[in-house]
Amino acid sequence: MLFGRNKKNPIKIADKGVVEWKYTTCGYCSTGCSIEVGLDKAGEAVASRGVGGADVNRGKLCLKGIFEHELFRSAGRGKTPLMRDRYFDDFKEASWDTALDKVAAEISSIQQQHGPDAFAIVSTGQIMTEEFYTLGKLARGVIGTNNYDGNTTLCMASAVSGYKRSFGSDGPPGCYDDFEHTECLLAIGSNLPEQHPVIYWRLKQALEKRRFPVIVIDPRVTMFAQMADMHLPITPGTDVVLLNALAHVILDEGLEDRAYIEAHTDGAQEFAALVAEYDPLTASRICGIDEDTIRNVARIYAKSGSAMTIWTMGINQSTHGSDGVVGINNLNLITGNIGKPGGTSLSITGQCNAMGTREWSSCSGLPGYRLLEKQQDRKDIADFWGIDEEFFPKKRGLFQTDIFPAIETGQIKGLWLIATNPMTSMPNTARIRKTLEKLDFLVVQDAYADVETNEYSHVYLPAAIWAEKEGCFTNTERRVNLISNVVKPYENSKADLWIFNQLAKRFEQGRKIRFPESASAVFDELRHLSKGRMLDYSGMSHQKIKAQRGIQWPCSEADETGTARLYTDGKFQHENAKARLIALPFVDNNERPDEDYPFWLNTGRVVEHFHTRTRTGKLGNLNKFSPTPYMEMNPDAARELGIHHGGYARLTSRRGDAVVMVQLTHRVAPNSVFIPFHFHECVNRISLGLLDPHSRQPAFKQAAVKIEAAASQAVAAKNNATSRTY
Amino acid sequence: MSETIKPEKYFLRDDEQSYAFLADAIVPEKNCYGKEIQLVDENNQLAGKSLHINGDSSVSDYADRYKQHGFYFNADNCISCHACESACSEKNDLPAHLAYRAVGYLEGGSYPSYSRLNISMACNHCDDPVCLKGCPTRAYTKFAEYGAVLQDPDICFGCGYCTWVCPYNAPQLDMTKGHVHKCNMCVDRLEQGLKPACAAACLAGALDFGVTETTPENRQQLKTQIPGFPSPDITHPNIRFQQTKSLPNEMRRTDSVAVKYQRSGSSGEYQAELDISKADSAKYWNLKKLLSSHENAHIIFTLSSQAVIGAFLLYMLAPLLGLEKISSGFNQAFLEIFISLFALFSLGMIKLNLHLGKPQRFYRGFNNWRLSPLSREIAGVSLFFIGFAGFGLVTVFEQYNILAIQQVLNSKVLRVLSMLTAVLAISGAVIGLYYMIKLYLIPTRPYWNHWQTASSFVSTTLVLGAVSIVLVSSLASRQIEPALIHQAAIVALCGLLLEAAGLIVHARDLKKNKGEGALSHFEQTTRFGNAYVLRNLLLALNTVGLSIIVFAGLTENYAVLTALLLMASIFISALIGRALFYVLVVPTSMPGAFFWRNKGFQQHARETGLAKMQQVGVLPD
Repeated sequence: MLFGRNKKNPIKIADKGVVEWKYTTCGYCSTGCSIEVGLDKAGEAVASRGVGGADVNRGKLCLKGIFEHELFRSAGRGKTPLMRDRYFDDFKEASWDTALDKVAAEISSIQQQHGPDAFAIVSTGQIMTEEFYTLGKLARGVIGTNNYDGNTTLCMASAVSGYKRSFGSDGPPGCYDDFEHTECLLAIGSNLPEQHPVIYWRLKQALEKRRFPVIVIDPRVTMFAQMADMHLPITPGTDVVLLNALAHVILDEGLEDRAYIEAHTDGAQEFAALVAEYDPLTASRICGIDEDTIRNVARIYAKSGSAMTIWTMGINQSTHGSDGVVGINNLNLITGNIGKPGGTSLSITGQCNAMGTREWSSCSGLPGYRLLEKQQDRKDIADFWGIDEEFFPKKRGLFQTDIFPAIETGQIKGLWLIATNPMTSMPNTARIRKTLEKLDFLVVQDAYADVETNEYSHVYLPAAIWAEKEGCFTNTERRVNLISNVVKPYENSKADLWIFNQLAKRFEQGRKIRFPESASAVFDELRHLSKGRMLDYSGMSHQKIKAQRGIQWPCSEADETGTARLYTDGKFQHENAKARLIALPFVDNNERPDEDYPFWLNTGRVVEHFHTRTRTGKLGNLNKFSPTPYMEMNPDAARELGIHHGGYARLTSRRGDAVVMVQLTHRVAPNSVFIPFHFHECVNRISLGLLDPHSRQPAFKQAAVKIEAAASQAVAAKNNATSRTY
Repeated sequence: MSETIKPEKYFLRDDEQSYAFLADAIVPEKNCYGKEIQLVDENNQLAGKSLHINGDSSVSDYADRYKQHGFYFNADNCISCHACESACSEKNDLPAHLAYRAVGYLEGGSYPSYSRLNISMACNHCDDPVCLKGCPTRAYTKFAEYGAVLQDPDICFGCGYCTWVCPYNAPQLDMTKGHVHKCNMCVDRLEQGLKPACAAACLAGALDFGVTETTPENRQQLKTQIPGFPSPDITHPNIRFQQTKSLPNEMRRTDSVAVKYQRSGSSGEYQAELDISKADSAKYWNLKKLLSSHENAHIIFTLSSQAVIGAFLLYMLAPLLGLEKISSGFNQAFLEIFISLFALFSLGMIKLNLHLGKPQRFYRGFNNWRLSPLSREIAGVSLFFIGFAGFGLVTVFEQYNILAIQQVLNSKVLRVLSMLTAVLAISGAVIGLYYMIKLYLIPTRPYWNHWQTASSFVSTTLVLGAVSIVLVSSLASRQIEPALIHQAAIVALCGLLLEAAGLIVHARDLKKNKGEGALSHFEQTTRFGNAYVLRNLLLALNTVGLSIIVFAGLTENYAVLTALLLMASIFISALIGRALFYVLVVPTSMPGAFFWRNKGFQQHARETGLAKMQQVGVLPD
């Protein structure tokens, strides 16, 4: 054996000098991984690691979590409030008092001149539940605008809407433990290994112990599609047709759970009548999946002792998103796969606290899954907050995607954005720019001063990020987990909770209502308001949550721990406690490829990106995996157009154009391209974002485009480099 | 609630999960290459010692501590989630432009019957570590503990030779620091009973770690090869694979390397082939690229050292071949030639030294003379330089009787001194030249790994040696001596014929080599096609010119002009030839991803200025 040196030198290995690990929960996606951040002697965050005993991630983290400690000092953070009179003036630094006084004054002035709803608020899925609740209190209870929504409209709105339509309430009924019990897993429009690698790992662990069929439905050959037992490369925007056809086969062949349907559902007859029209042959001609495969999948699913469906944006970001969710619920209701181990409709949520905003932010209603439309709910909250019940509108106002058009045409004059970046995230960037220019007053509250939307703001409020604060997130499986404070807020940035509280003080009504200062005191209000409800928090506390590494609601005062599944008793949240089977007629309103625009444009996320890259784009060890916008394109299609691997191509749609680098791969169909959507001034310049009629979620994943080689590769390359600079 | 770290096992987390612990396994005695897996027994002097990691003097009591460990990669399962790479970079605190572990991929098939094969690769801690053998400074050590091959950046002087010889792109030359660093097998975690950070971070059941030649739980295969992975014969790497899923017959790389992998009908193994679809078959000059490569120092050093060695050897040995005129020509202008050669040689040495990441550590170049051809080359060349300088000084002092040397030392002593220095210089020259050739015969660099490297270097030695003598001696005497030119032309002609023979066979053999060798040949006829043609033309012209001189003599008319033109042409041809030698080599490499570890993208990022942003992960020029 060859050793080189017999007399060996001591070994040096990088040592970050961690002296203390602090418990927290990851602030990227909604998997909800428990993380410990390592602090060195100087108190600097220098390392991250998964928490071994946390049920969700069992010590694992994805690449974003692995580098999450680097966020605290990442480039582009906001240091101090900034103000200017017009968006094209230069910013001037301001004190918090001056900035908040200005915000309060502008809100009041706009509301006095143009009515309470002329000032809109668009929030996020990124901040803590306690902050969402406080913002809701401020928006609904103090400012009193009905045009208040979250950017969850861009990600999970269809799931929310579908759950509400089927089950009478939002709230994913399943959990990750269902992987350990299911006998068949159907994934529609979910690229689990890329978007939620740790959930994929949980699935993989279950599969290592026990094999069960995994069926992936996706127009793109993702790694998940490749790992699956069956991959159904569906035609974009036709999921509802396939789901109807699956139900058709199940009912036609008598494979349904008749007893469950009769005991726990309404609408079976109308539903049966509608799906009768979607025989596999008819469906195959629309959705591109052959009739044998449709029958085969339907039979496997229905004959499994338990079967579950997971989905993400492939369903949600479609003009039939809400219908798609309902279709999945229909499938699980007729096979009796709700509320039992391994049988569920589990939406794999996007943002870290999309669930928290759905539960507590009052965006679509009132705290704790209460509705503005219900008098009792309005009364409960008005009494608890100590305000007049009549202060609440009786119907929810505009969704995020309707707020922008209302700005465009002048009904809304002022806007407050919290941790969201519509300049990059909304479809049709050019229209959003034009819209933002029209605002009399725009406040951007964000951890990053270089968030692109800040280009149009009048006041910028620098927010603290993630574990610079304290509070809770709820994950995909309804698990409430704790973010404990790890480091102090950067420079003169402040916790969102503090900002909301300080702003509340600047309104007369805000001084009358109690706005607790600490997150745990706010949490006590959540416990009180959720007592006895489906999303019961009353048995939780920050301490107990931390001790258990997260608790799944409902957790009542009597419960020691949380609840894995909802609807185990077959009782749903509709008035009559039944779930609804809903007939879903399919109208093909997708912008389909045609002679002028011959390619399907599909968009999505890649594992190293998150939330318009305000964070992930700053960390070299994440960003390096895709530092510049690119497009996956089929080599056969590219050859005809003279487009080369690694060159630049220009895409045009009915909205505008975008230039991207080309990656040739057979992962996409010859008539389809895929572009990651978190790059600024990229795919959303050309996306359509047709709105779902129920959820108002934009269809980011279906549009038609034309493609050509960039006229000058050198100019394209130069422009690309310039537009990536910060 | 925060806990203070436990210094004894600070990597061990609360509720540490079973996947993170080194697993017990039944270990065979020998690995598939016939090597003992137990590296030393417990009584060996190497056993029972602390690794002294960061000043920690503890010794792990792990039962398999002296068995060869390695990675296990289940290619069926890898999803390219980057968790392994990131866990590695986080633990080792690496900047964005550099990584010890990288995931690249191959893809094949047509939509929707498409397959992507992801490959996560770091150091394979080989049985036969070519990095360790190649490193001139002895920065590498193979430890009896776990069989880890560790590299010490504090010893390394940043020559990058290990990055040339490693087939897996494991050693990373960090241009910002001027040294190499690489995967350390997380021996600090191993000492605490835990798998390396990458293996513990895997989210897909793909990457694992343990005693080599053991199959992890739930896995079926112990393969030594998968498509895209180089032949294990070169280094006997300690990595084992599972790859059971059928793949398309043709697997393509997404990075810019125009190589694909084709399944052979008989063996089912995948062989590297030229991927013509990525290649541009037009002919170019690409002179800028040709003459401004990172390897410029090598061009200057090899050409200058070979010229000087050649001149000296001819001076000493030509009379033995009946070419006395060369020696006498040298002697006539000894001082001028000596000073010129000395200056030329110094220039080459200085260029080469400055090319190191840490030039101040140049003296470490001999450290690994027992194993490294590079060390031996440096030693040989240095010996030559000392001998040559000594010989020159003795001769000059004697010729000009400087410091009345002829009176101080008697002629016998001077003779002995002269002899000793000459012997030293000749042996240094032979050793230096031999290992200068040897160090380029690298299996992962098919373009160099051919006897043409030898023929080319020997040819340059002869041709430039002869030309140097003629040039300086003629300049010094301001006249042309036909006899000297005639004899020098004989030597140079032999050199050119040798070069030509080498090139012809080389080109033929490269075409037969299907992978990177074929790509090198393709590039030499396309991307650098015009330069290649020009060099070949000049070579032919020079051969004709020299033949005329040898067989018909130099015509009196325009003799000076003809000689000068011919010499210039010889020099240009040698320069282009040597530049081509460095620019055309295509190392076998692990497949990259579309951006990360993609040479094409890196170059694009540098050209367009993207690389100026650190978050792009490409170091600017």
